[in-house]
Amino acid sequence: MGFGQFLSAPETKLRIVTYRDVFQDSAKVVSIFGEDYEKLSAVIKLDPKDISKLAIKEGDTLILKNSSGKVIVKALNSGYDNPHTGTAYMVNSPWSNSLVPEDSGVTGVPDFKDFEVIASSAKGEKVTGIKEII
Amino acid sequence: MKLDNDYYVCTGCALLCDDIGVELEGGKLNKVHTACRKGFAFMKGCSNPMECTVNGERTDMDSSIKEAASILKNAERPLIFGHANSSSGAQKKAIDIARKTNGFIDDTSSFCQGPMVEAIMEGKLKTCTLDDVRHKADVIIYWGADPANSHPRHMSRYSYFPRGKERQRGWEEDRTAITIDVRKSDTAEICGQNGFYQIPVKGDAEFMDAMVSALSGKIPKTSYDLDKKKLLELASILKKAKFGVIFAGLGMVYALDDREPLYKLMDKLNSVSSFHLIPMAGHYNMRGFNQNLFEETGYINRVKFSSGEVLHGPEYSVVEVLRQKAVDAALVIGADPLSSLPRSVVRYLEKIPLIVIDPCQTLTSAKANVTIPCGLVGVETGGSAVRMDGVEIEVKQIVDTDRLSDEEIMTRISEAL
Ligand code: SF4
Repeated sequence: MGFGQFLSAPETKLRIVTYRDVFQDSAKVVSIFGEDYEKLSAVIKLDPKDISKLAIKEGDTLILKNSSGKVIVKALNSGYDNPHTGTAYMVNSPWSNSLVPEDSGVTGVPDFKDFEVIASSAKGEKVTGIKEII
Repeated sequence: MKLDNDYYVCTGCALLCDDIGVELEGGKLNKVHTACRKGFAFMKGCSNPMECTVNGERTDMDSSIKEAASILKNAERPLIFGHANSSSGAQKKAIDIARKTNGFIDDTSSFCQGPMVEAIMEGKLKTCTLDDVRHKADVIIYWGADPANSHPRHMSRYSYFPRGKERQRGWEEDRTAITIDVRKSDTAEICGQNGFYQIPVKGDAEFMDAMVSALSGKIPKTSYDLDKKKLLELASILKKAKFGVIFAGLGMVYALDDREPLYKLMDKLNSVSSFHLIPMAGHYNMRGFNQNLFEETGYINRVKFSSGEVLHGPEYSVVEVLRQKAVDAALVIGADPLSSLPRSVVRYLEKIPLIVIDPCQTLTSAKANVTIPCGLVGVETGGSAVRMDGVEIEVKQIVDTDRLSDEEIMTRISEAL
């Protein structure tokens, strides 16, 4: 166990926007319980500045939590041209849906595409598996 | 090996592509031509097919149907939910079951494209067919929509790339594609830098107002930074459109608290040119369910039957009835709420008797008391469905199966009630 284990990881608030991805969607059609689906779903895309702020490297895992739930996902650099610090992107999946607040406001529809989480390094922990989600 | 010269329909999404070629071998689907990656995976079938089970034990079809009927009979307030991935025949039976059991009935449109489909069915938004788009559309707007990922053949079959009767020069000269979105999606990449308008999250209503101003020759105003010159250029493109279409994606639907800004924009667009709107329904027959329920009850979703009366409102939505724990049993067909709804909302489904009908195991079926496998519509069974633009499409069976169709299962449950 390294010294880093005893230091608290920096936390940051992120606004999450969800999107669709054909490769992830196709993997779901093959099997929602499959490895490919997990690999393509349990991911968050961040601005490089947020990656530095969280003191992690691309490919490390992050804990995302809010009052609705908690999941561990892999952090990737979004690769977008325009900077988007404070906003991160997740593909629509049971992982993102674990964090969607149940309050459905005026429209009766939960905010699937826009919610906030607190992110911090998962210090090497594995991503949350689909069986742990359900 | 037999090359089948007939064309089939892919039920992988609400585009219902009807030009799919297949090759069969030994009575099984061997090759699928023309479909996209998702359609191909869908038609080949999942790797974890559903089995008949009651309380986790494998059983036969008769016993599982009997148990499903018994759960529904004993329930006072059952929920019949899903339907977006069901044939129209099965949907009509589901409405019968909800009526017979004084149940709640709702579908996935309740938390996705419902508002847009409702506005179209009530005649509040001008619409057109995808065939009209292919033949006539010259200005195409993808708003909060990313068909490159959600409906992979949308742009190539209908909306941007094809030659059409009045668009012989195709995308190179005859069509202008525009994306309005909160991020540079793959569709935005295709539209190019000039065709991409990035707006902040939930900035859609303000952008609509700004477009109305620009179309009226006024300087557009927004609380966020906006390239006014680019917006005025957009207004000029829209004014010149001969046949415009807006594809409304979930990004737009979720961003609007009400539809007024969209109605105002559509009115303005139609006073200066001609614009249509098509909702980007995802699952292959969500729109079919909306139409079927509308014909029966006058509402597209969120209905409760009560001794012959039809009740409707936000309090009857799947999200609300689960949050309020207002139901005491559920039958889920053609959907996977444990995958698609917030975890905090669907947790209640595990506490009540739950029936799942699907060709494949799902997250919801993992928690169900009764699971009933049905044939995959479009491959193992036929039926009809309604495309995202409201056009009814006949879906043919391709291979033989000993699985019952979704409609047969729903008929048998209804008869056993
Ligand atoms: S675009 Fe949709 S309907 Fe067409 S082949 Fe792909 S999944 Fe099937």
